[in-house]
Amino acid sequence: MPKIIRKTSPYLRRPQASVTRMMRDVVIALIPVTLFAIYSFGLSALYILLASVLSMMITEYIYYQITDKMNGEKFKLKNESFTLYNFSAFTSGLIYGLTLPDSTPIWVAVMCGVLGILLAKLIFGGLGQNVFNPAAVARVLIVVNFATIVNYTEHVDSIAGATALTVTNVDLFSQAASTNYGLLNLFTGIGIPGSMGEVSVLLIVIGGIYLALRTSFEVRIPITYVITVFVLASVVALQKGLGIWYPVYHILSGGLFFGAVYMATDPVTSPITKPARIYFAFALGVITFFIRLFGALPEGVVFSILIMNMFVPAFDYFKWTNPRFSNKGNLIFASVIIITIGITMVGAYYVG
Amino acid sequence: MIKKSRKVRDYKELTKALPTLRYLEPEAVYIHLHNARCKTYDLFVKEGDKVTLGEIIGERHGGFFEQPIHSTISGTVGKVSKKLHRTGRKVDCIEIKNDFKETFHESVFDRTDNVIESLTQDDMVQILKEKSLVGLGGSGFPSYVKLATKEKIDTVVINAVECEPYLSSDYRLILEHPGRVIKGMKYIMQALSCKKGIIAIKSEKDPLYQVLTQVIKGRFPDLDIEVKRLGNHYPQGWEIEVFKWALGIDIPFGELPMKYGVIGFNVSTAVGVFDAIKHNLPVTKRYFTLTGDAIKFPQNFRVKVGTSVKKLIELSDGFKNEYDEVLVIMGGPMMGVSTVSCDVIVSKTTTSVIVLQNIDYEEEPCVRCGSCVYSCPAHLEPVQIMNAVKRNDKEVMKGLEAFRCIECGLCTYVCTSKIHVTDYIRKAKRLIG
Repeated sequence: MPKIIRKTSPYLRRPQASVTRMMRDVVIALIPVTLFAIYSFGLSALYILLASVLSMMITEYIYYQITDKMNGEKFKLKNESFTLYNFSAFTSGLIYGLTLPDSTPIWVAVMCGVLGILLAKLIFGGLGQNVFNPAAVARVLIVVNFATIVNYTEHVDSIAGATALTVTNVDLFSQAASTNYGLLNLFTGIGIPGSMGEVSVLLIVIGGIYLALRTSFEVRIPITYVITVFVLASVVALQKGLGIWYPVYHILSGGLFFGAVYMATDPVTSPITKPARIYFAFALGVITFFIRLFGALPEGVVFSILIMNMFVPAFDYFKWTNPRFSNKGNLIFASVIIITIGITMVGAYYVG
Repeated sequence: MIKKSRKVRDYKELTKALPTLRYLEPEAVYIHLHNARCKTYDLFVKEGDKVTLGEIIGERHGGFFEQPIHSTISGTVGKVSKKLHRTGRKVDCIEIKNDFKETFHESVFDRTDNVIESLTQDDMVQILKEKSLVGLGGSGFPSYVKLATKEKIDTVVINAVECEPYLSSDYRLILEHPGRVIKGMKYIMQALSCKKGIIAIKSEKDPLYQVLTQVIKGRFPDLDIEVKRLGNHYPQGWEIEVFKWALGIDIPFGELPMKYGVIGFNVSTAVGVFDAIKHNLPVTKRYFTLTGDAIKFPQNFRVKVGTSVKKLIELSDGFKNEYDEVLVIMGGPMMGVSTVSCDVIVSKTTTSVIVLQNIDYEEEPCVRCGSCVYSCPAHLEPVQIMNAVKRNDKEVMKGLEAFRCIECGLCTYVCTSKIHVTDYIRKAKRLIG
């Protein structure tokens, strides 16, 4: 006679749902990008990736060993709050590593990796509690603190440094930039300088499709993000009489796809409802494009992600959050889009 | 898994195709004397009295209604004892020892079709009240109150969706007695003088569709009854979802469907209406599923109301030996109540007992994936309510309308981190009461 246990309903769980599966899928989706990075940048890429992944994982491990010790647990190799198994630190580390240029000194990568996961994730309380994306924070630490060390000697950069976009930023609306690196090359990533993981849009899209098929990320975020940048760039192109190359160039260059697919979609640092996720991605696109157009930096993906991470609780505030699209919400969103396009046109008039 | 997903694996293949096992002669039945809706009772018989099938042996007192208690077998009255009820609480139950004669009480008689055709709404309401018919899908709400509605009803919807996994009692009921379902429905339509009827089934239950359409075409060609095949998702059987998918009517929270010209009955209730009106009989038998992965022979039963589940488990050859810990669940595995022992009685509203192996799921931190928000059929935000419960922030719980939760359990089912979200929402509902 077995023992009868009392529990509360429901008694079933969806078998395939697990955090590990979700995080592991991100790693699998990153494999082509990683291999391409090692192929184009050689062994130095491998060392930087290893350094960034290991620094984040070891930091998390040591941090939890210390907190467990403080809570009076005995030392165990696999400690009580062991979280490495669910790939979350590994994913952050890999994404962070792939946003680095290949000339990054190892010690810089390690230092910022450690600080990134510690400041952005662990002191907030670990997985699920962080406000900011750890990979983005680590990357920004490098941009802000080590800008002179980590520069792009022979190439031009990406996510937050100087990309192919630097050229555009200097000479904002000239087609010369796009002739330097053909659009097709930008798409496939062959022969394009920049951060290790961000050069090949093709492989990033393949990874994104895999994630979408496995439903391991919110596909609305990258789509809205890229479309927003494309539309705003098209508005500028129309105003200035530039060709279709201008918006296409904008979305293909400078880590936009990488940021949109792998960083903006981090569920912990994005809003919780369907409409809010679309508004969030729209805001990301607007901020990215405004930084590119008006800002001092040629690139704004990481900064826009960090800025919008701060507003996630505002999107989810209980007084206006709504899991469904409402007429009122759609109306407000439509007016915001129109206002944004207006601002873009006025701004572009002065920039040009 | 970040997606709206309302697909729940249904496990119905365990019992769906099995013919119903008739177990109508138990040695004794235990009839519960009070329940969640009726707190007090009067007993009209004492130990040693002889009772007959269909005789009134007592009366339950609810908040605004009285409910006669009927004997479901003929025999001798025994002692009053405490037994577990569907709600998971111990209730007073009266034992009736079977004399295996099946003597009917004199109140049980057949009405001819002519008599039935002359019955008005008030007559039928009176009959259902005397026969204490309640919603047999599990709600236990008195059916006569529903039938006595003064609103103009355009459509009667019979809910045969049975969206909970594992359950197949309604399925077998329709397959074996489609005529009774449709006749019961005909009486309801007659009482409400409404012309249109809809039977809602899941689209994957094709045999039901074929049986029902054939019976309607062959035996009731003059009735305007449509069999609607609804989606296969959970909780399709929730009344609001049924109306939405079958008729396209969106009923806002807190409003009665009668206001919108529709009324819903469970398929077992329709059969109950048939028995009450045609044979003047209370609910004495019901279809009952005993299933689950920890029972040796899952089976559909046709049992007397009041049969002990322990006996039925014995008939199914008991629990499987390989599991040390099992859950005994009354009702479906998504919304049912788990009990501490198998000494349970089959009440009128018990559709099933499910015995599952006990799996302790390891909870991981919430990664805010949003699956629960996407999947919630009531359009709530379970994860945010959960966080509010953790902070004990009642304002937020109210603002997020936690009281609208129907406790379907889908948020827990889909949770990526295997967190028991539904429990937190229940707590929120209690806190904001």
